[in-house]
Amino acid sequence: MPHQCTTCGRTFPDGSKEMLSGCPDCGGNKFQFKPAGATEEPAGDDAGSPGASADPSPSTPEGPTGSTADQGTSDGAAADPTPDERAADPSPGEAADATRPDAAASADRSSETDGTEQIADRSDEDTAQASARSEVVSPDELDRASREVENTEDPSPAEGEQPGIDALRDELNDQFESIRIVSPGQYELNLMELYDRQEYIISLQEDGRYVIEMPDAWGIQDE
Amino acid sequence: MGLLTNLRDSISRVTDGLFAADEPKRIGIYGPPNAGKTTLANRIARDWTGDAVGPESHIPHETRRARRKEGVEIERNGRTVTIDIVDTPGVTTKVDYKEFLDHDMEKDDAVRRSREATEGVAEAMHWLREDVDGVIYVLDSTTDPFTQVNTMLIGIIESQDLPALILANKTDLPGADVQQIANAFPQHETIPLSALEGDNMDEVYTKIAEYFG
Ligand SMILES: Nc1nc2c(ncn2[C@@H]2O[C@H](COP(=O)(O)OP(=O)(O)OP(=O)(O)O)[C@@H](O)[C@H]2O)c(=O)[nH]1
Ligand SMILES: [Mg+2]
Repeated sequence: MPHQCTTCGRTFPDGSKEMLSGCPDCGGNKFQFKPAGATEEPAGDDAGSPGASADPSPSTPEGPTGSTADQGTSDGAAADPTPDERAADPSPGEAADATRPDAAASADRSSETDGTEQIADRSDEDTAQASARSEVVSPDELDRASREVENTEDPSPAEGEQPGIDALRDELNDQFESIRIVSPGQYELNLMELYDRQEYIISLQEDGRYVIEMPDAWGIQDE
Repeated sequence: MGLLTNLRDSISRVTDGLFAADEPKRIGIYGPPNAGKTTLANRIARDWTGDAVGPESHIPHETRRARRKEGVEIERNGRTVTIDIVDTPGVTTKVDYKEFLDHDMEKDDAVRRSREATEGVAEAMHWLREDVDGVIYVLDSTTDPFTQVNTMLIGIIESQDLPALILANKTDLPGADVQQIANAFPQHETIPLSALEGDNMDEVYTKIAEYFG
């Protein structure tokens, strides 16, 4: 269950379409990545984890300059989730392309439509960036979200290289191939994947967590 | 592109039609780190509104959140063109905190800057997909324009049919090679300038009015 609603704590299988229209329980639309390795089961050897097999979502969108590299091998390929085998990855972005315009109804959010910072006057960068950041998700929320996950995993804070962090990182890289964490502070970005994604990544954390925001309901129901 | 994207496109087209036709266009200032995007954004904003947009720095990834200045009115040939400018974080395929250590930064700060920079790239890509009506692509003309990032971004911009201006910045520097940029992207108009010195800004404004008005 790699994703968790930051508002009510409900968890979702990876790639769950339910997330697309906001949390069915509380309407929240911020979700936190929760590596499978952080829960009961050790990562990697459990091919039948609910998300991995339940929703292969093969519909990776076509990038404008062609296609992303690992399309096409989605179905049934969940048998061997080795770190480098990404083809079976039912990542949230791919799931987000599922054709469910009607599902997008409940979200109530304004930041998606306008996440940039409006410049009122010259301000000190740190303050400006901090406030921009908090516009999207309050430090409080981030904090709470982190703590909720911490409860279910290693209680010690992630500082540097602790045992298991590599596994977590592999897991994250596997699930979330648009940003590859090489080591703390070192990242490789797949621009095409980032561009293709519909969800908005709002916070990346070193230990394999991130908080994402799903796209707005887009007002499709108003049609 | 997926069905949703198409749907969304048609919806925003409908919406565009419903609201005032002369809604200001939102112009994203894109390019690799350190190209001079913020310097340009500040110059445009200062010239026409008196305000600045954000801090400039010789250390890459100074801008790590998109910053926007709305309602910038540019006058050209007796006509006023209103645009919203969005200064975006420099786009790159690799962020490494070690790069910042050379700039006298503590490791903790460097790692944090690196993480924020990565989030910034994600944000910039998100905006490119969702929310800009045109692009000003800024390149440092003392550096090689044939990079994966430039090719990919220009490719995306073209695939979206966004109007785009390519600016060859830093022409005040001795190693500037505007022609190399023009050669790299022959399908687009390349305009030389020095955002720092303010050289050739007249032509830049004329082109902005022409492309985004
Ligand atoms: N010589 C010269 N330097 C320039 C020019 N434009 C910008 N610079 C310098 O280049 C450095 C980077 O400028 P910024 O405007 O911060 O660059 P940026 O593209 O916003 O960079 P990021 O926000 O890191 O992506 C600063 O030291 C600027 O003073 C120019 O026309 N000539
Ligand atoms: Mg900048």
